[in-house]
Amino acid sequence: MTQNIEIAMRMEGITKRFPGVLANDRISLDCRKGEVLGLLGENGAGKTTLMNILYGLHQPDSGKIFIEGKEVKIESPAKAIELGIGMVHQHFKLVDTLTALENVILGIPSEHPMVLDLAPARKRFLSLCEEYDLYVDPTVETWRLSVGKQQWLEILKALYRDARLLVLDEPTAVLTPSEGEQLFKAIRKLTKEGRSVIFISHKFGEVLEITDRITVIRDGHVVGTVPTKEATYPELARMMVGRPVSMDRKPRPSATKIDPVLVMENVQANNDRGLPALKNINLTVKAGEIVGVAGVDGNGQLELAECIVGLRKRTGGSIRIQGHDVDRVMADPSFVGYIPADRQKVGLFLTLTVAENLVVKDYAKPPFTRRGVLRYQAIRQHANRLIKEYNIRTPSSEVQVVHLSGGNQQKVVVAREMSAQPPLVIASQATRGLDLGAVESVHNFLLKERNRGAAVLFISTELQEVMSLSDRIIVMFRGEIMGEMDGEAADINVIGQMMLGQVTEVVA
Amino acid sequence: MNNKKQRGYVSLPGIGDLALSGLRPLIGILLGLIAGAGLIALSGVNPLSAYVAMLKGAFGSPQAFANVLVRASPLLIGGVGVAIGIKAGLWNVGIEGYMYAGAIGAGMVGIAALPVAPIVHIILSFLAAIAFAVVWGLGPAYMKAYRGVNEVVATIMMNYVAIFFTSWMVHEPQPMAEPGSFFPMSRMIAPTAKLPILMKGTSLHPGFIIGLIACVVLYFVLRYTPFGFRTRMLGVNPVGSRYAGVNVRQQMLFVLLIGALMGGVSGAVEILGLKQRVYMDFVAGVGYESVAVALLAGGNPLGVIASALFFSALKAGGATMSIQTGVGGPMTVVIEALCVIFVIGVGYSERKRLERLDVAEKEDKEVEYDVA
Repeated sequence: MTQNIEIAMRMEGITKRFPGVLANDRISLDCRKGEVLGLLGENGAGKTTLMNILYGLHQPDSGKIFIEGKEVKIESPAKAIELGIGMVHQHFKLVDTLTALENVILGIPSEHPMVLDLAPARKRFLSLCEEYDLYVDPTVETWRLSVGKQQWLEILKALYRDARLLVLDEPTAVLTPSEGEQLFKAIRKLTKEGRSVIFISHKFGEVLEITDRITVIRDGHVVGTVPTKEATYPELARMMVGRPVSMDRKPRPSATKIDPVLVMENVQANNDRGLPALKNINLTVKAGEIVGVAGVDGNGQLELAECIVGLRKRTGGSIRIQGHDVDRVMADPSFVGYIPADRQKVGLFLTLTVAENLVVKDYAKPPFTRRGVLRYQAIRQHANRLIKEYNIRTPSSEVQVVHLSGGNQQKVVVAREMSAQPPLVIASQATRGLDLGAVESVHNFLLKERNRGAAVLFISTELQEVMSLSDRIIVMFRGEIMGEMDGEAADINVIGQMMLGQVTEVVA
Repeated sequence: MNNKKQRGYVSLPGIGDLALSGLRPLIGILLGLIAGAGLIALSGVNPLSAYVAMLKGAFGSPQAFANVLVRASPLLIGGVGVAIGIKAGLWNVGIEGYMYAGAIGAGMVGIAALPVAPIVHIILSFLAAIAFAVVWGLGPAYMKAYRGVNEVVATIMMNYVAIFFTSWMVHEPQPMAEPGSFFPMSRMIAPTAKLPILMKGTSLHPGFIIGLIACVVLYFVLRYTPFGFRTRMLGVNPVGSRYAGVNVRQQMLFVLLIGALMGGVSGAVEILGLKQRVYMDFVAGVGYESVAVALLAGGNPLGVIASALFFSALKAGGATMSIQTGVGGPMTVVIEALCVIFVIGVGYSERKRLERLDVAEKEDKEVEYDVA
């Protein structure tokens, strides 16, 4: 180790075991002063657990942590903050109904114990906003802020506490490309001041762009650390997944059928806050094609899916599935196969068994119910067939789905929704949170549905998978369809601009 | 392939988890009894002799056990009514009110001198009780299911209305009231409407049999019928149920009404089997105890049998304990409460364990568990 490199934080041999899971296995890494360390790994590799240990949310079973050379024991986030560690979680820890400024000072004792004097805090906050070019209105309640602004607020919150080591967990997942640019600018400014940033991600592009060094984690181990300058995309992918990865466009037979299955005309709907989320959506999905819906999260995609499956009321327009009005069709759930964005909230019954989850739409029909009595033998047989067909990894059909891994939970949903061979499939963020293997199998199932002749609407915020899977691509921005293009000829730059609402012409 | 571990399996719950979930109520009860022992010791009595007295009071003789069964009857029936609600994710705490409503219904028909066989009179009384209780339960059930009112608030408030409505019903000059009595109460029910006594020298009536049957039937319904399946789906995930095509509102309504029906039967059993008159406060908290019974049973109808017997044994034995050792009668209520708290507490720490498991998963979005 050369003398002029100062180590801001070092972890040595960190091991953390959860019941049944070895999340971190003797992980050692360090972060230098003034650098951006990329922490790259698949979902489930143990990145977040490691960072939660650093932030005092978990205690390691063994291992040591050094901050600026001194060994420390971080038993709580309060201690971590005291040590100058700031963390921006993937799921923000903001109080929705408080203002931005109130969120920032929450937990900091006031100078006068009986009075809450916000004026000095506001001054300091605004100067931080200016310094890092991350402006957030301090008086606005946080639920009114966009997800991107909420993230900035989290960063400002950490800086307000004078964090010298900032941990950002998948920060770009919720940002538009331009917000991402601004974030990267702020990160560069932070490191110039001698602060350090740990940047957690599973996206290669941005890790290669922003970091100085990259530590790759797989299965709870450190696979290696490389200087970013020397890192290449294929090498990182191989380190991260353990085998070479291809991200090419999926081969497929050309579409033959042309009957429209889903026809939406002038559809309007509100979001949960009662604000317009869909504005005059006109969309047709034909049999045997996958229509990809690209867009930054929160631009109406969720509402689009929910309208089609009948979970959300339209405020206008019509939706027809195979010529039938959607409101009638919903009485028969086998018309639409739906893979919801939030599988645990909508798609699954966590404390019911795998077998039970596979029949939640059909339990009352024969052979599952005969003469008014549920026939568990038939239900189990059905489950065992689907477990095999969809390669669901579970010790038995009688295990509660809560015990399955995310990928296998998703397969349970996919198996149930696809096994009825519905004419229309809606996949909403179907691969979110899955590791590459599971992502691939979901892709393959959807492709199989398309080839069978189903109309597939594929909603995703991951541009890469939209481009690799779709026959046609539409881009949503603020509840409107910005444009449509052929999947084969799609240009990522055009899509990127449309995602920002900058192009409105139709490139059909 | 390489030496990559087989991944993507599930976490197998450890023995600890299994034991904890299976034995949870027992461990909770044990802890409750230990804490209770501490309190008894504080009042200067040897806890062991107090508990021995209690055991004797509950199980020391056939008469004593008959007493336990009599006390268990309304708890079994009311408890299972609450339990099915718990399975559907609904806190149906209106049993007290349904009991009063049922009692009024049973009383009205039971008091009347009908020229029919006893069995017919009894059945008519029960039907009246059910009708009254279900109608009574319709209000809060509708408010919850179709208007989104919190069911705890709605059902509890209706309890007070029921109590005072009962009081009004048994005051002169209402036709039910006993004329000239010094204490407001209804007239005695007709001999033909009385439940038979099963054991001489005791007040053992067939109420506990009705209760046992109710528990077993509702267990079957929950486990083996589409209605029960929907109920469990609703309890686990209301949003998902709606998406899967369940008429969530209707299901809530039915489940709450089943609770009301059970409450009505429970009230009728008390009147026709034991009290033989309707009066204000005759329920004396049994409705709320039913909630505790269901809670202790974790919403499992078969568990209700065990927990109802436990509660009634504690009550029956508590009287003996109080007489023999001088420990105050209210101590049994304290012990009951301690047991419920500890069972909930054990459940909480178990949930924490599961959460920790879950946290590992949520934080990394997906932890692929290894099965080694």
